[in-house]
Amino acid sequence: MPLLALRRVSRPSLSPCQGRRTLTGSLLSARGITKRYGRVLALAPASIDVEPGDALALIGPNGAGKSTLLSILARALQPSAGSIETPAGAVPRVGWVPQRPSHYQRLSPRENLELFARLELVPDAKTVAGRFLALLDLPDDDRLTAELSAGNQQRLNLAVALLAQPDVLLLDEPTASLDPRQRRLLWEVAAQVRGRGGAVVFATQNLEELERFATRVAVLVGGELVFDGSLAEFHTAPEADVFA
Amino acid sequence: MRTVALLLAKDLRTLRRSPVLLASLVVYPLVFAALVGAVVRYASDRPAIAFVDLDRLPETLTVGGQSFDVPAVLDQVNESAELVPMEEDEADRKLSNGEVDAEIVVPRGFASRLRGMAESPQLVLKTARGGFSTRVEQQTQALVYELNRRLQDAYIKANLEYVRLIVDGGSGTFLGNDFDVVGLARAGEMLAEIERTTSDPTVAERARELSTFVRQATLALGASGDSLRATANPIELEVDTEAGRSWLLSAQLQAYALALTLAFICVLLAAAAIASERDENVIGRLARGLVRLRDLVAAKVLLAVVAAVALGVVIALVFGILASVFDVTGGEPWPRLPLLVLGLVAAGAAFGAFGVLVGVIAREARTAVLVAFLVALPLVLLGLLPAGTVEAARWISKAFPFAHAVDFFQASLYDNDPWATLWRQAAWLGGLALVFGAAARLGMRRFVA
Repeated sequence: MPLLALRRVSRPSLSPCQGRRTLTGSLLSARGITKRYGRVLALAPASIDVEPGDALALIGPNGAGKSTLLSILARALQPSAGSIETPAGAVPRVGWVPQRPSHYQRLSPRENLELFARLELVPDAKTVAGRFLALLDLPDDDRLTAELSAGNQQRLNLAVALLAQPDVLLLDEPTASLDPRQRRLLWEVAAQVRGRGGAVVFATQNLEELERFATRVAVLVGGELVFDGSLAEFHTAPEADVFA
Repeated sequence: MRTVALLLAKDLRTLRRSPVLLASLVVYPLVFAALVGAVVRYASDRPAIAFVDLDRLPETLTVGGQSFDVPAVLDQVNESAELVPMEEDEADRKLSNGEVDAEIVVPRGFASRLRGMAESPQLVLKTARGGFSTRVEQQTQALVYELNRRLQDAYIKANLEYVRLIVDGGSGTFLGNDFDVVGLARAGEMLAEIERTTSDPTVAERARELSTFVRQATLALGASGDSLRATANPIELEVDTEAGRSWLLSAQLQAYALALTLAFICVLLAAAAIASERDENVIGRLARGLVRLRDLVAAKVLLAVVAAVALGVVIALVFGILASVFDVTGGEPWPRLPLLVLGLVAAGAAFGAFGVLVGVIAREARTAVLVAFLVALPLVLLGLLPAGTVEAARWISKAFPFAHAVDFFQASLYDNDPWATLWRQAAWLGGLALVFGAAARLGMRRFVA
C-alpha cells in the first residue's frame, strides 16, 4: 500500500457556454488615463487596449502604477483624467481581483459569494455560490472568512470576481499567497476566461508566470507606461531588464 | 432598494455575530442616560450659592410677632440651591473663579429693617456673567419669592392679630408701644347698656346707630383673614408631589434615555459600519456598478434606523411596564407607542446620517468609533444644558439631532396636544438626516478617488 496516493478529483469548470457573448474589437480601451494623488503623479497619461484572448502582463517595480492602472480598468478607482472605452453594444463584464482581499471578513465564504452574486444580479445565487466554492476548493462551513488562510482568502477573492462570468479578468499579483497547486488552479480558471473569448490582465513580479502565461507585456516605470508589446517583442526590448 | 436591503441584511448578520458588542451598545447608553439624567437634575436644580451674612442673623428672628427659625429656613432653601455660608472676601473670590455660581449677601441692618416692617429690606445677589447666571437668577428669584411668601404669612398673622384685638379687645404692641383696646365686642355690649339705661332718646338713637356699625364692622373684620390672604397671594400654587410620575419614570428621563441611547448607538454604529466597508476593501468592488454610493450611505442610515427602533421600543416597553407595575399616572406609554416609533425612525435616520458622515471623514473603523464617541459626547451634553443657561449652546445644539429627538420623544409620549411639536421636530430631524446624508455621499467620493 503506497504511503501517498494521488487522488484525482473532478473539478467543476467555468463552462465555456456560460456567459459566452460575441464581443467585437477591443474589450477595454484606456485612453490617456492619468491618476494624481495631490501633487504625486501615480499614473502618467496611459493608453492601452485589452483585446480578446489577451493574457496581458503588467510588470514594473513596486510603486510603478500597476495596481492603479488595474483599479482604474476595473472602475474601482476614478482616473484624474482620461477615459475607459468599451465596444458599442454589449459592454464587457469585468472581474477584478485586487491585491488585498476585497470581501467581508465577518461572513463565511458562502455568505460572501451569495451576497456578491445577488449584487451582481446572478440568478440562483445559492447554486452559483456552491459551484464556485467547489470550483476553487473553498471551505463550505460556518467558519468566517477572517479565520481562513491567506491562500483561501485569495481564492475567495478570485471566486467573487468570477461570479459575473467576466469577459475581462483583472488580477493584481494574484498568486502572491497561493501554493503551487492553487496557482495552477488559478491559471486554469484564467485560461477558461480567455478560452471563451475573454482576456486576462495580470500584474506580476513573477518572471516565471510572465513567461508561462503572458501573451502580451506592458511595462510601467514610475507611473509611466514605457512598453506595450508581445512577449516576443518584450524579450528583445530594452525594457525587459526592468527587474534586473 | 434591493441593494440597500442586501447590504442591510449583511450588516445585521455581522452585528448579530458580536453579542458582546451588541450587549454593551445597549447597556452603556442606558447607564449613561441614568447618570447624566441625575447629573442634569441636580446640576440644574441646585446651583452652588455663597451665603454671606453681614448682619449676623440670629438663630430666631421675630417679625410681626412671628418667630422664624433662621437655620430651618436656610435648610429649606438648601433643597433648591446649595447655600454655602462664607465670608464676603472668600465668596467674591470663589464667584470670580467659578467655584460658586452666585453669591447672596445679607447686608448689615437687614434684620432690624425686617422687624420694623416699615420698609423692604434688600438681599444682594451677585452672579457671574454668562454661563449659568440666568439660571441662578431664576433660582434666587424663586428663593426670594419663597422667603417673601413666608414673611407674608407672618405679616398676615400679625395683622390678623391686630384685627383680633379690634374685634375682641385686649393688650397689644405696635412699633414698641404697648396699648389696650376695648374691642368691638365689648364696645357693642357697652352701647347696648347705654341704649338700655339712657333716658335721653337722642343718646339712645345714636347708641343704636353705633351698635349697628359695631355689628357690621365685626362681621366685616371676621372675613378679613381670607381677604388678606387673597390679596397677598392672588394665585396660590398647591404642590402635590404624589400626583405625578416619580422622577425615575419621568417623561424627561425617558426622553433623555431614548435620545442618549440613539445618539451613541446610531452614530457609532453608522460610523463604524461605513468605515469598515473601507477597512474590508470592498468599496471599490461595490462602487464598480454593483452599488451606488448613495445606496451605500442609505444602507448604513437604515441600519441605524433599525437599531434605533429596536432599542427604542425595548426602552419604551421597560419604562411602560415599570409605570404600569408601580401604577404611575401622568403619561400615556401604550397608546402613544406608534408615535414614538415614528420619532425613533426620524431620530435614527438623523443620528445615522451624522454617523455615516463621521465614518466617511474618519475613513478607518477604529478611528471612526473613537471620533464618533468624541463628537457625540459634547453634542449630547450641549443638548442637555437647560434652556436659558448658555444661549449659544442652544443654537449649536439645534444643528444636531439630540435636542430635537428629546423634544419629539417627550411630546410623543406625554403632551396632551403633541402635533405641533411633533411636526416641527420631525421636520428638523428629517432635514438634518438629508443634510448629513448628502454631505456623507459627497465625502464618499474620496473612497473611490
